Amino acid sequence: MDSVGNVPPKTLTGTFDIVETYHRILEDDPEITMPVAAIEALVELLAQTDAVTVYETLDLIQTQSAFLKMNIPNSIPLQAGTELFQQYILSCLKPSKTSSGNFEAVRQHLVSNGRLFVHRAKNARDMIARHGQNYIRDGNIVLTHGGSRVVGALLRKAADVKRAGGNVRFKVIYVVKDQRSIECRTVIDSLRAKGIPVAEIDEGTVAYAMRKVDMVIVGAEGVVENGGIISRLGTFQIAQLAMAAKKPFYVAVETHKFVREFILSQDDMESDIDQKIIRFEPDYVEDPTPKTPIRNAVDFTPPKYIAALITENGPNVVAAVSEQLIFLYSV
Amino acid sequence: MPSTDSPSAVETSQPEVAAPLAQTQPNGKGKQPEGAQQSSANTEKSKSNSNGKPAGNAQETSSTKKLTPAELKKKAKEEKAARRAQTVAAKEAESAPAAPELSPAGPSTVPQPAGGTSGSQQRGDGQKGSRTQQRTGGPVGNSRNLPFRGSQKVAAATAAPVVPKKEDKTVEFFRHLYRQRTTSIADASKEVHPAVLALGLQMGNYTICGSCARLVAMLQAFKSVIEAYTTPPGNSLTRHLTSHVLSPQIDYLASCRPISISMGNAIRWLKLEISKVDVDTPEAEAKKDLCGAIDVFLQERVTYADKLIAKKAAGKIKDGDVIMTYAKSSVVQRTLLRAFSKGKRFKVIVVDSRPLHEGKHLAAALVNLGMDVQYCLLNGLVHVIQNVTKVLLGAHAMMSNGRLFARVGTAIVAMEANEADKPVIVLCETIKFTERVALDSIVHNEIAPADELVTPGGPLTNWEDMKKLQICNMMYDVTPAEYLHMIVTESGNVPPTAVPVLHRMGNESG
Repeated sequence: MDSVGNVPPKTLTGTFDIVETYHRILEDDPEITMPVAAIEALVELLAQTDAVTVYETLDLIQTQSAFLKMNIPNSIPLQAGTELFQQYILSCLKPSKTSSGNFEAVRQHLVSNGRLFVHRAKNARDMIARHGQNYIRDGNIVLTHGGSRVVGALLRKAADVKRAGGNVRFKVIYVVKDQRSIECRTVIDSLRAKGIPVAEIDEGTVAYAMRKVDMVIVGAEGVVENGGIISRLGTFQIAQLAMAAKKPFYVAVETHKFVREFILSQDDMESDIDQKIIRFEPDYVEDPTPKTPIRNAVDFTPPKYIAALITENGPNVVAAVSEQLIFLYSV
Repeated sequence: MPSTDSPSAVETSQPEVAAPLAQTQPNGKGKQPEGAQQSSANTEKSKSNSNGKPAGNAQETSSTKKLTPAELKKKAKEEKAARRAQTVAAKEAESAPAAPELSPAGPSTVPQPAGGTSGSQQRGDGQKGSRTQQRTGGPVGNSRNLPFRGSQKVAAATAAPVVPKKEDKTVEFFRHLYRQRTTSIADASKEVHPAVLALGLQMGNYTICGSCARLVAMLQAFKSVIEAYTTPPGNSLTRHLTSHVLSPQIDYLASCRPISISMGNAIRWLKLEISKVDVDTPEAEAKKDLCGAIDVFLQERVTYADKLIAKKAAGKIKDGDVIMTYAKSSVVQRTLLRAFSKGKRFKVIVVDSRPLHEGKHLAAALVNLGMDVQYCLLNGLVHVIQNVTKVLLGAHAMMSNGRLFARVGTAIVAMEANEADKPVIVLCETIKFTERVALDSIVHNEIAPADELVTPGGPLTNWEDMKKLQICNMMYDVTPAEYLHMIVTESGNVPPTAVPVLHRMGNESG
């Protein structure tokens, strides 16, 4: 399907720049996730394009997705969004093959449905919070990490149970990293505002704290086909410590973050996401923190460490990821 | 008449049995005279029968004829006495009545494979022969004091002393897997098409080897079968072709070498295709359609599937990788070639094993292209695995519980790779997926002729004459799903847990 693909992506759409749009969408709405931002960017592209045929449109979306992927260092999460959108369009176009004369209607339909998808993806977070709150029992201590909005929503929802007259009293141990403390701060403040006691520890304290912990809940940027997650750097070691201490390690994640990509190990990820985390320096350097080209360094947690994925469709075992992806991508 | 089977069996073995009995069994006294008498009575007979055929009915009658009625009567009496003594012994050993067990247990040991050693030879062996008997009779010799079943068997074996002429050279655990392989076209049914005849022999001697190659060759041969087919008057192709023409071909192929799982899937598909042919379709057209369908099937499920798998798997190979593979898989070879031709520079370690040495072909093919190849046998595995970055494996089949069924030795490689924390990647077309599950390598497997494992001129050259030696040459083993990290199929890269999903979609809906 690279028929029109030799046309440079920019000239085809005039002034539209998908990378810029993607960044703008991410900055405008702090609540939005990377796959959803990619989808919104593609919807905007679809609204602006002057492509007249189905294949032209599909090709445009494909080249622009590839262009976007190429220009974002950590491309796996947004790949989930672009692939999902393409698949969605393909399945939309299938029944309307007979009425190909009225392509404009199809496109309008896509634009409005694309927006609907964005809306639905945002609602998923509330559903996850609702499913996930049942995991937190009275007296539990939950360990979490990073600034995941899903986990924040989940913990707040569980706290609401208490305020609504329930008797779920739980505590949170929050692993705070200096570089990302602002995001953590908002989650921690909102939890304390709901009366949840929060202990802030740094990453070196996790093993020490693990004995007190009943469960670990983290978010993810992407879930790959074998059920492993790509998440903020440091998640993998927490997962290993949790397994060593035999504590369940849950991942709260929306299904639109499932991505058709297979990652076997950290090294395997390096080819997709070049993070340059480990640098060998012959001389003394002032600041040894990695000058990673992406905003948030990530690592890969293999599926064997994950007890369950809490999604908007309810809790899933890791094996369900590949099954869902197979069904989603077999038109 | 209880004595119908016992005289025939007694003829050769009784003297041997007598020795252990005298040592170990309290009621041996009751037996011994009978044995001595028997052997003397039957000496001529066993000599005349020394061609080693298992004791059959003809023999029995001839042996009974030679006895006078008085002798017969005497013998029957002695036997009865012996049995009674044993029943008592068995009861003492706290067991169920042994007498009813006699007749079923007696003949069950008779049909041992026959050949080589004649009765008179064995008799000369004396003490050694008696051990043989103990072994082939199963747990007879040792389990004397065990309660219950064991002791029943003892009673049975001694009362009706049925002993094979020749040691059973099959391995007990795998006995259900032994099949006599057809190695000539002499006995083939006349319905078998010449193309299939040739193919069967080629499969039998591994000229055509490998799950995919056999599948392709089989379907090509079936195409000629279909082309040569004419519907007999009064029949329809839909009803006649499968049952009367295709089945003998399949039976013949299966007799040459057991049908592989991918072949089974393809046969099921072909039968379905034939059943879908409209009865009103003219024969020529129906045949053309079927051949066309086979071509499309091969293109979709094998040719393009292989291409796609090679493309995907080659994408996983990076510069500087050290790829380990075991034996030879066509799709692994294709993957390595593709990665190499795309300019990736990596090293390949081919691990191989006896007796087929399939890896040699792979290593040779890769070396000829100028790739960096290291070849080692399975026993050097632990040494070389440290530097490996990825393990690529071919498959014979993927089971529904995510386990890999592949050339024997694969499981060791996967286990060792897992131990060393190296990712194990399986390359497998969905045509090789099956709804069956495998828990071990015993229930479902293939036993190849044991002679393949024996080096000519080596110490085991005459292994068939060596007492208590059996050689097991199995073809496949089962690798647990935990050792596999990724399965590359034409429908995507999946974890082992997704095998049943893909199988449902690929092989059952189509």
